[in-house]
Order: sequence, then structure tokens, then C-alpha cells
Amino acid sequence: MDLLLRSEASGACWALDISRVRGLIANVAQGHRPVDWVGTLLAGTVTLDANANAVHLFGAYGGRDRMLGQPLPAYWPREGRNIVADIIVAAIAAEPHRCVRKLRIESLVLREPVLSAWQSEKGDQPDTVFLSITAEPVDDRSFWLLRTSEERYNNLIHHLPFAYLEVDSRAQAEIFDEQRRKGLKDIEAYLDTNPADIQRARDIVRITDVNRSAVQLFGARDAAELIGPVDPLFVASPETARRVMINHFEGKRSYSEVMKLRTLDGRILDVSLSVTYPTRPERLDVTLIMLEDITDRLRTEAQLRQLQTEFARAARISTLGELASSIAHEVNQPLSAILTNAETSLRWLSRDQPNLEKVEQLTARISESARHAGEIVRRIRGMTARHVPRPQKLDLNEVVEEAILFVRHDIESRSIDLSIRLRPDLPQVHGDRVQLQQVIVNLLVNGVQAIHQKGGTRGTIDLSTDSDERGAITFAMRDDGPGIAEGDINRVFDSFFTTKEEGMGIGLAICQSIISAHGGAIGASNWPHGGAHFWFTLPAAAG
Amino acid sequence: MSEPSLIAIVDDDAAMREALYDLLQVEGFRAVTFPDAEAFLDHFDDREIACLITDVRMPGLDGVDLQQQLRALGHMLPVIFVTSDEDEATRARAMRSGATAFFTKPLANAELVRVLRDVLGSERGD
Repeated sequence: MDLLLRSEASGACWALDISRVRGLIANVAQGHRPVDWVGTLLAGTVTLDANANAVHLFGAYGGRDRMLGQPLPAYWPREGRNIVADIIVAAIAAEPHRCVRKLRIESLVLREPVLSAWQSEKGDQPDTVFLSITAEPVDDRSFWLLRTSEERYNNLIHHLPFAYLEVDSRAQAEIFDEQRRKGLKDIEAYLDTNPADIQRARDIVRITDVNRSAVQLFGARDAAELIGPVDPLFVASPETARRVMINHFEGKRSYSEVMKLRTLDGRILDVSLSVTYPTRPERLDVTLIMLEDITDRLRTEAQLRQLQTEFARAARISTLGELASSIAHEVNQPLSAILTNAETSLRWLSRDQPNLEKVEQLTARISESARHAGEIVRRIRGMTARHVPRPQKLDLNEVVEEAILFVRHDIESRSIDLSIRLRPDLPQVHGDRVQLQQVIVNLLVNGVQAIHQKGGTRGTIDLSTDSDERGAITFAMRDDGPGIAEGDINRVFDSFFTTKEEGMGIGLAICQSIISAHGGAIGASNWPHGGAHFWFTLPAAAG
Repeated sequence: MSEPSLIAIVDDDAAMREALYDLLQVEGFRAVTFPDAEAFLDHFDDREIACLITDVRMPGLDGVDLQQQLRALGHMLPVIFVTSDEDEATRARAMRSGATAFFTKPLANAELVRVLRDVLGSERGD
């Protein structure tokens, strides 16, 4: 072997043990060619040695270990296998045992590669065949440039702050090629009926190199612990493996998703996975996988959402506090009716001839009023209860009508005329009922207070809903209060901005955060003839 | 016995309006109801209506406005206010403009009936 590696140092060299297929080689040499003799012959070879160029050419970063002891098809590209089987037979038959062929393997980035096969001239190693691939040397300068760039690439990869994995998915790609040849089109349906193929892919697709961040992310001792089947990557997210396969089959360039990763030391992480599939003329043995640990980010986001929800609730309770007298009035109405009806019933019953028909009618009204009172209490509880936002399809007109009920008495008691123009057949929005109600109640309360601040005997609030030309749903409210001071107009939605003595300045800030969480926009302006104009838009619900 | 006097009830809350109507009925009064001040003014006939019971806070014209308008038109019929507001200012405003009585909801029904009997003389329905 020393001989081989010395003499062919510029190329990629292998030494193969062919002792197990000597008989087959002899038959083929005499013209007896059994079906799939190429596959059988190559599968019977054992790789004894390979030089650095050989490792580099086919073995990627998996190293020599990927080759030694393996049959040749474990690393040799499918398209070059006929030639290599052919040349082995020819070299053994030739005298001296040497043979040269032009090689065509598209995936190799070599200029006019030449494949040679020979046996030791001394005849001392009859079961060993040497192979080499040589190519016209690229000029010196580009060679060094290539080396420098390769080194830079390796440095970059190894110091990336993301976990980076190189994966050899050629074995799976070959299966896909075969399946496509046989006419397979719908890979999803196929995998549904052949789930075992997914597990096989997880076993035959191999991680060949990883960087330091990957070792850290996986909680591995060293890179070697990760080299091997990709299977461990998908333990906590088996469905991800399926989707990665589907995208591979469909010829996508890349695929990404957020998945759960179970590390080697047993932690479960949220990671963002990006897969880049190789395309020609890139090296087909390198599928790139990047993993970014986003566990902390997701946790922070969840905490932030929780905080926003709590904050919105605090604001609702504060608003309800401002509306206490209005709410008391709303509840008092049905209670008054109940009391009067009950006393009237007693009067009918206490007559010499009780009027039961009247009592029945009044009892029905009592129950109706009690139901109404219960409804009001339920609504208030809905506003104050701890509440996980539950987006659903909603009619914004209904939300507006419900919101008005909270503020109605305040509006009436301040002699404000409320005009409401709700567009009929308004497309639905996708949102959380309580939060959207909160926005409208807030805007209404602000309007009422603005009119009150201005003084005077009467005021007007106009509410309307509509849908614009792009299909978005709009809500608009204008009042004839003093309007927004010119310098404040850009600050009204800022947290802790307020012009009210007792206000905290969170109402409109929360309105803005609710509307933007719903994918909408909110704004404020002054009418040319006085008064403020607040509006928001929401996208129409899909479907 | 002559036909009992007619009492007008103006309240925007339907449940309360009907409850008052039934109360007056069992007490032997005749009543007629209106959902707002404007509707009452449209049908008002001062030869027939002997007393007005009105809510204070209503959309449009409120109870006190209504009373003032009646006074301005020269109608001196007694006006009894019923309201949810405990607000002193409202009560003072109503009493200043010549209200006969001012009740807070929930109503002391027996007291309301007593006041009505006072206003309408010794008239009894039953």
C-alpha cells in the first residue's frame, strides 16, 4: 500500500480486497454476466485503505472511517459504479494488471478525471486491486486560493454561533431518484402508507461533521458523539423528519421550521431548524443543517404575552372603575322592575279573588328582568376575569353594540347624543371579543370625558363601522369635544401619556397593543371643525 | 263612579315602564305609557292626563327638560320623577323646576301610590 500511496500521491487512491468476488470476476471476464453483476461485485469488495484525497473526494468530513472496511458502494456515487466494476474486471484480466478509463461522474468537481485500476507488479497481493482517480492539475494559484477559501470556510463554520451540521443524504436521494423513476409523485401519501421509510431515512442519512456550537447544543462530549445517523435529531419531533423528507423529495432548495430537540443529556429545547439541500454542481454529499436554540426567546415571548394580557386586564378593571355609576345604573334598572313587579304580584294575590293570570304574567316579567340583570353581571365579569385571549370569528357590529351597553348610561347622563351607523353585512373579523370590546369602551369613555371637559350642555358622538376597498374592517368614532392638542397628536398612544388629572395614560396604549396584536392599525386625528377622530382597522377573517 | 284619572308614564326602559303600568293598574289607576319625552309630547292632551311619572335620564329630551317644556307651554300638571341617580344636583334641579315628588329606583312602591293618591285627591280605583 505504501507503494500505491507514494506513486499516486497526486490523485485519490484506494486499495480494495476482492477476494470474496474472485469467482464472479473470472466469470464476467469470460463473458458470463449474471443479472446485477455490478451490484454484486461491488458489494463484495472491502476497502482496505484510502488516501487523504480519496477521503476528500467522496468521504467528506466523515473521514477515513467512513471508507475503511466498507464495500465500495458505501461511498462511490451511483453514476460511476458501472465503470469501476468494469475496470476492476479488465485490470485483473489484463497483463500486466493495469487499466485506465475516462471517468464521468458529474458530481465530482474535477476536470477530465481519469480512473485507473491495477494490481501489484510483484504479484504478492493477488486479492488487492488499487484504484485511483486523477485529474488534470488545476493551476497552482487557483489551488492555493481554493485551499485558503476552504480553510476560511471551515473556520467560519466551526466558530458560527449557530449549531451547524453537515449531513450526507445521498443514500436517501438515491432512493428518491429510484422512486421518481418508478413514477412516484405524491410523496406525502406515500409516506402515510409507508411510515417505516421515514425511520429508514433517519438511519441511512448520516451526520458527517458538526461544529462546536452543535456539540454544545446537543450536550455532547465531542463531535464524534454526533457523527452517525441523523436519527437523534428527530427524537422529540418525529413529524419534522417527515417534512424534511417531503421537501427533499420535492426538490426544494431549503426548508425551515421550529421544532423540539431532545439533547443527548436529556434536555428538551425549542430550536429553529434550517435545512439547505445540495443541488448540482455542489457536492451532493453535503446537506446543511443549522439549528438555533430559541428556547429562551420563546419563553421570554410567552412571558411578555402573559404580561400584556395581565396589563390589559388591569386596564379593563380600571376602566370599569370609571364606569361604576354607569354599571350600577344598568343593574339597577332590572332590579327596580323586579321589585315593583313582585310587589304588584303580591297585591294581586292579596285580593279576595286573586288574579292569577296577572301574577303569572308578572312572574314571567320578573324572570325576564332577572335574566337581563344576570346578563349584565356576566358581561362585567367577562371584562374583569383573568382571560386567555381567544381569537375567533366575530361580527364587529355586535362587539360595538355590546361595548355601548357599558357606557350607555354615562352617555345619557351627560346629555350626549350617540349616533351609530353600523354597516350591515359587515365581513367578520378574527379576534378576541373581550379585548376588542375593551378598545371600543376605552375610546368611548375618552370621548365622553373629552366632551365633559369641554363643558357646555350637549355633546355628540358618532360611531360607525364599514369595510374599505381592500376588504379591511374599519371602526371610527368622532366626538365634538375639544379635540387633541396639536403637539399631543403623535403621543396619544404612548404609554403613560395622559391629559387627564386622574388618568394613568395606559388606556390608549393598550388599545394600540390590542389592535396591533390583531394585525390591525389604530390612529387619531382632529376634525377640521373641532373634535377628535379615533379609528382602527382590522383585517377581515380569512375564509 | 266616574272614570279614574289617567296617569302618563315616560321611561325608556321597557321593563320598568311595564312594571309601573301594572302597579298603577292593581292600585286602581288608569295609565298610559310612552318610551320617551318626544312621544309623550306628541300625544299629550292636558284635558285627559292628570299626572306625569317620568324617568329623568333618557336619550333625547330628559325628564327635567320635559317638565320645563310643559311649564313653558302653560301646562301645570303634577310631575313625579323616578330615577336611578342618587345625584343631589339632579334632584335639586328637578325640585327647583317644580316637581311634585322625586323617587329613586328601586321604587318605594307604597310611597309612590300614597303620593299619587294625594295628588289626585281622594280618588281610589278599588
